[in-house]
Amino acid sequence: MRYLCYDLLIDSDLPLPELHEAPAVRLDGEPDVLIREGALPEEGSAYGQPIGPLAWATPRCLFMRAALCGRFLIEDGRRITWALAPGQDLASLRLFLLGSALGALLTQRGVFVLHGNAIRVGDGALVCVGPSGAGKSTLAAGLLGRGLRALADDVVALDARGRVLPGLPRIKLWQDAAEKLALDTQGLNRLRPGIEKFSVPMEDGAEWGAQPLRGVYELHVHRKDSVEIEPVRGIERVKLLQLNLYRQNFQAVQPTRPEHLMMLARLSGATRVARVRRPEFGFALDALMDALLADLEA
Amino acid sequence: MAALGKPGIWWLASYPKSGNTWMRTFIANLLADGAAPVDINALDTGGIASARALLDEWLMHPSAEMSADELDHLRPRVNEWIHARATEARFLKIHDALRAGPGVPPLVGPASAAGVICIVRNPLDVAHSAANHWGCSMDESVERLCNPAHGLSLTIRHQGRQVRQHLGRWTDHVMGWAGIAAVPRLLLRYEDLLEDPHRHFAEVARFVGLPDDAGRVARAVAHSRFDVLAAQEAQRGFGERPEKSQKFFRSGQAGAWRERLQPGQVARIIDAQAPGMRRFGYLDALGQPV
Repeated sequence: MRYLCYDLLIDSDLPLPELHEAPAVRLDGEPDVLIREGALPEEGSAYGQPIGPLAWATPRCLFMRAALCGRFLIEDGRRITWALAPGQDLASLRLFLLGSALGALLTQRGVFVLHGNAIRVGDGALVCVGPSGAGKSTLAAGLLGRGLRALADDVVALDARGRVLPGLPRIKLWQDAAEKLALDTQGLNRLRPGIEKFSVPMEDGAEWGAQPLRGVYELHVHRKDSVEIEPVRGIERVKLLQLNLYRQNFQAVQPTRPEHLMMLARLSGATRVARVRRPEFGFALDALMDALLADLEA
Repeated sequence: MAALGKPGIWWLASYPKSGNTWMRTFIANLLADGAAPVDINALDTGGIASARALLDEWLMHPSAEMSADELDHLRPRVNEWIHARATEARFLKIHDALRAGPGVPPLVGPASAAGVICIVRNPLDVAHSAANHWGCSMDESVERLCNPAHGLSLTIRHQGRQVRQHLGRWTDHVMGWAGIAAVPRLLLRYEDLLEDPHRHFAEVARFVGLPDDAGRVARAVAHSRFDVLAAQEAQRGFGERPEKSQKFFRSGQAGAWRERLQPGQVARIIDAQAPGMRRFGYLDALGQPV
């Protein structure tokens, strides 16, 4: 099967219902990425230096365990080999494949990848980054409820001109967040068996093409009742963007890329970058969305 | 400042509401050795082992997309990884039972610990302190202490800042940690820390290889006194206070259970927790609470 995601033509022996199939005009081209099942060892010490308890890497090769589900070998920014552990399910493996494995592959290709999600706002993209649990997905789902569209989930890849590439067309939502947004989870797919987190599928954004990056917002919680937006300026912008690159331990084995430094300079000059704080207790979702959209227009 | 203490993870292991935050505050003040107390909202000693942020840094995939059972199996590897690469002493708080269940590897072992400081508090006092902390009734709190399946962050409907922690019964919890094998361990009772803080906190300093001179220990003890912490919370709040609780630092005493617990609640705890209570001197030879 052939799919299009992050402007990559992906040829996979594992059906990936989360992705949209490649349009006919792209089908005949040489695929950019091959995803194939293969035999892989339990541990990856043959593939590089350990970069974490479950991963081994060189600049061109990354072996990682996907929790207890299976293993991946990602090579040359072009090939992902997968192995499912006995008794595990493919939905779980796909979740890790389309998250970290694809993120690692993009990183190997030298793509500038932020960890967060991207929403199409007008003629551009709003990217939300920040620590796990800050509420990025709930915010994204809220914005969708206001008629906006998702561009990428978890892995936000930029093209050489600093525009956001349409990525995985979905939002991942917890049961409680879905209820807060009055979304019925009955008809939604569970991300994995046994986990109360659901995949909200989106229309294919590939036809929109890459979207100019209008703003990067780092979301945090605080123990106040208010929503606060603090613009980030100067060198602090570069630092914020660097700290939100996709998985620092992947980045650590990559060579320094002059084009990334150029990208940081370009983004910190042309894009709104801010820290946003929302109440920890009581999400204040509407106030948060109002504040963000107003800030983006300011 | 030169690195202090032997590099690696020093585990601060306790059942909740047993003095763990007090211990972290002492260590933070001992390390800082400042003229003023360290800010309780900036206790930069190393965090808590069940923090999602810590696990997400190393698991390669979001912990939020893993089941609690998977994480029980993966967390020991994360702990070993952090310990093996630590270039300085890191003090990690942990409330989990040492082992989540049969067939699950222990969370901490010789490959993941420079040492373990176990803090134990009379479960009769833990019960009323926890009722406030958990925002539940006294009966409910007593039952949680006696429940072999009790745990923290059990919800699977939203993403908390921490992953599921299996606690089990108080007695199994404290006996598990006290019995940890092949790891240097210091056992402390909350009540002894209250009675003679200078002596016991100096023991802590020596155990982890931090300066233990009387002046420095005394300053750190003074800066982590209950009234100092409570005053800081009253002024600026405390980020670790749960939503349902009015105050994190509430009473900090030993023996308040005599006024707070009903006889039936005391009996229930003694009945369920006798092995641990006897081991740590909370029951006398006749089985009566001390």
